[in-house]
Amino acid sequence: MKIALHPCFILHQRHYRETSLILEVFSRDNGKLSLVARGAKKRNASTRPLMQINQKLNIAWTIRGEMGTLTAIEAAGTNYNLSGSRLIASFYMNELLTRLLHKYEPHPELFDAYENTLTLLQQPLNEETILRVFEIQLLQSLGYGLVLDHDVNTGMPIAQNQFYYYQIDFGPTASSPRDRESVKISGETLLALAQKTIQEPLQLQEAKQLTRRILKNHLGAKPLASRKLFNAYLKNQSG
Amino acid sequence: MPTPSLLDGLIEALRCMPGIGRKSAQRIAYQLLERNRDGARKLAGALMQAMDQIGYCGRCRTFSETSICHLCNSQSRDRSLLCVVESPADVCAVEETGYKGLYFVLMGHLSPLDGIGPEDLGLEQLETLLAQGETKEVILATNPTVEGEATAHFISDIVRRHALQVTRIAHGVPMGGELEYIDSNTLSRAISGRRAF
Repeated sequence: MKIALHPCFILHQRHYRETSLILEVFSRDNGKLSLVARGAKKRNASTRPLMQINQKLNIAWTIRGEMGTLTAIEAAGTNYNLSGSRLIASFYMNELLTRLLHKYEPHPELFDAYENTLTLLQQPLNEETILRVFEIQLLQSLGYGLVLDHDVNTGMPIAQNQFYYYQIDFGPTASSPRDRESVKISGETLLALAQKTIQEPLQLQEAKQLTRRILKNHLGAKPLASRKLFNAYLKNQSG
Repeated sequence: MPTPSLLDGLIEALRCMPGIGRKSAQRIAYQLLERNRDGARKLAGALMQAMDQIGYCGRCRTFSETSICHLCNSQSRDRSLLCVVESPADVCAVEETGYKGLYFVLMGHLSPLDGIGPEDLGLEQLETLLAQGETKEVILATNPTVEGEATAHFISDIVRRHALQVTRIAHGVPMGGELEYIDSNTLSRAISGRRAF
C-alpha cells in the first residue's frame, strides 16, 4: 500500500543496520507507525538533517506487513527550536505517545494538539499548564477522557469551592473516597482543567497529581525516562 | 540438530561485524581459507590482543591501552581546552582539524526514550576533571541533533557551575556547499548564528 506525502512528526529514531534508521512516526491520518529509512545514514544522504524530533514533516511511505519503508520526506515548516526544560517536555510528550498510542490508530485531533503544544512550548508560558492540557487531550483521544464537569455520584455540576475525590477510571465525587487510589482535588482545579485555564500553583500541583496518577494506570510499572531526566535537569540547574 | 562445523562457526562469528551479512561472511571465510591463512591468523591475533588490552582512558573515556591515553598524557597539547564529543570516532574527526586541546568522550548522548540518562555519560567524571582546575574553556562538540543539543545544554549547566568558559561548535553551511540545496533548518541556523565580517 502506498501512502502519499502527509503531515507527520518523528517521535523517536534508532539505528538500523549500517546505513539505515528506524523512525517511530506519528502521522496525522494514519496514527503511529514504524518506518525504515533506507540509506539515511549514508555520508551524502541529503534528507538526514530532516529526520529529527520537533520538526513537522511531510512523509510518504509504502507498507507491506508490520513496518513501512520511507519513500519521500520533506520539511513542512522550520523546526521547533526548544531547549532546556522545554526540550525535555517534548521528550516527555514523545515518550507518552510512544508508549500509549496503538499502531495505525489515527488521531488527527491529537496530532493537532501535539503540534499546538510544541508551538506553545516555544512561547514564554507556564510549561506545566501546557503539559496538563496536552495530557488531558491525550487521555481523551485514547478513550479515557476525564470527567471534569460533574459529580459522578450525584450528577451535580462541579462546585468551585468544594473538594472532590477523583476515582480513577470513574470520576470526581464529593462523598468520601471508596478506594485509596482516589486523588483529592478541589472543584476549582477541576473547572480550570476543563476550561484549560489552569494557572495557580496550587491548582497545577493538584492537576499534576491527578494526571500523573491516571497516566500511571495506563503506563504500567516502568517509570518514564523523560521524567527522570527532568529531575536530573532540575538538580543540575540548582547545582 | 547436527553440530555446527568449524566453517559454519566462522561464518556466524564474522557476522558480528557491522555491515557483514551472511553472504559477505561466507565470502570472507572462503577467501581467508583459500588464499590468506596468514592474514587471518594475524587478524585473529590482533583481535584477541585488542579485545584483551584496550580499555577506556581514565581521564577522557576514549579507547586506550594505557590507563591514561596518549592524548591526555601528551605535554604538547593545550591543557586549558577541553572538547566534549559523543564518540571516539568524533575524536578522530576533530583531530583532523588540527585542534590541539584535550577531549572528553561521552560515549553517547542523552536520549530518554533509549533509557540513556546523565549517569550513563560519565558526567560525574567530567565534573571531577573540571574541578582539577586545568581546564579554562569547554567546547561542546556533540552532534547537532536534538539529542546532541539536549546533551550540550545539560553539560553547559555543569560547566557554568565551575565558572568556566563554555562554547558550542558553530552550525552552518558546509564548505563548497550551495545555499540552494541546503535544508532550511541548517540555513536558518547559519543565518541566526551569523557574525560580523
